[in-house]
Amino acid sequence: MELPLYRIDAFTDRMFGGNPAGVVPLSRWLPDATMQAIGAENNQAETAFFVPDGEGFKLRWFTPTVEADLCGHATLGSAYVISEFMQPGRTNMWFDTRSGRLTVTREGDLFTLDLPLRPASPVEEPAVGAALGAHPRELLASVSYLAVFDTWDDVARLKPDLAAVAALKLDGVFVTAPGRDGIDYVARYFAPGAGIPEDPATGSSHCILMPYWAKRLGRKRLRARQISQRVGDFDCELTADRVKIGGRAICNMRGSIFVDG
Amino acid sequence: MELPLYQIDAFTNKLFAGNAAGVVPLKAPLPDATMQSIALENNLPETAFFYPEGEGYRLRWFSPSVEINLCGHATVATAFVITEYLERGKRAMSFETRSGRLGVEVKGDVFVLDFPTRQIKAANAPQVGKVMGKQPAELIESYSWLAVYDSWEDVASLKPDFAAMSKLALFGVIATAPGRDGIDYVCRFFAPKAGINEDPATGSAQCVLMPYWAQRVGRKRLISRQISSRIGDFDCELAGDRVKIGGRAVCYMKGSIAVAD
Repeated sequence: MELPLYRIDAFTDRMFGGNPAGVVPLSRWLPDATMQAIGAENNQAETAFFVPDGEGFKLRWFTPTVEADLCGHATLGSAYVISEFMQPGRTNMWFDTRSGRLTVTREGDLFTLDLPLRPASPVEEPAVGAALGAHPRELLASVSYLAVFDTWDDVARLKPDLAAVAALKLDGVFVTAPGRDGIDYVARYFAPGAGIPEDPATGSSHCILMPYWAKRLGRKRLRARQISQRVGDFDCELTADRVKIGGRAICNMRGSIFVDG
Repeated sequence: MELPLYQIDAFTNKLFAGNAAGVVPLKAPLPDATMQSIALENNLPETAFFYPEGEGYRLRWFSPSVEINLCGHATVATAFVITEYLERGKRAMSFETRSGRLGVEVKGDVFVLDFPTRQIKAANAPQVGKVMGKQPAELIESYSWLAVYDSWEDVASLKPDFAAMSKLALFGVIATAPGRDGIDYVCRFFAPKAGINEDPATGSAQCVLMPYWAQRVGRKRLISRQISSRIGDFDCELAGDRVKIGGRAVCYMKGSIAVAD
């Protein structure tokens, strides 16, 4: 059986930037083991699989080893494939997922995801600064840690002890600092415990980052940059209990895969 | 600019098995930085790039982070793409590489690499057995350690301490034992120092294994299986100071990638 495979760089408009996602449009589900094998073979952070469901879609994400609960960049990648190649001109898409219904809207080249907030509260845990190799001015936590530093350069030059980060109580550390030159804040994300030493561009990070920065800066629309090696760019907006996360995408690869069945 | 990209599983005749390689046929060289970016985007163990040169081809291999000196499975994958898609029916080809000229012969569905043997000598280093979690019956020193166990199950059940292994002298550890049911020997290959905790199918390991097993078994043609989670299969022949390493390949993906001109 021949299936289409796309590789989309999400949260960027530059070749080889952002976060790559595999995207496999299906007419009906494949066996879970086949989707997992494709996720492993692609070896991208996530491969998305979707099937039509009425006017919307059912969407699942697979890392190389497990099915994932929530993935922003592969959802953006899926929306890009639909509105660019499958149903050109479509500007509103919804996906039923393990994390409920996710909606994506497109305006021009900007795709906007709508995700729930995960506000963080202050915690005291010196092990986090020790693992990062530098102590933040503020430490908060929700599902992950949020370590706030004073400057862009503080964040850029962090070289965490990944084994020590993996041993922390919570999964993953977001690090952040104020931005400059039209960028409101910068961030990086380390999740070695989940097999991701550093994620290149993390949509869901803004569920934690936006409540913090919107309050600190007194504005609800903010521009964020993830200063990983690949660099991710986000246009975010805080609403009552949700965050809208906007990003661009480009198609890096289009092809066919050949699987049994 | 659009370039073709193939993803081939080498040293197997089964999809999702063997060792995955990206293969990018070129008409002329690309800038090194572009090849490195493509390899990082592919995120496969190696991506091969080749273009016509003289009577044969120039071949280069990139891991996601660096250009590498020698790669068997991506060479098999390249030969597969040439005979299957580009010059159907071609039975022999030669590649100019960082490791000199490499010839590949095609015999039926088997691609035969011609590699130099590696020197081997008995060694006494109990720390190797310690990081492997089990002392081998015999220890050999080559470019990597060769740890010889008594049984297939001994090798299959190894759970090495990768952090400790990356502190050993030498490149990595090859574990091996006698085979059964038509397989002469089994092996696994660990190279955490190079960022590969366990390699799925390693052509070049046979350059160490064949001098050892040919002498022990008293035959020059041996069937080898790498019992990683993906499984690699090799038809090997010792010929003086060379090893002929035969393997099959299957195409997982055929597509095109977009890169800046």
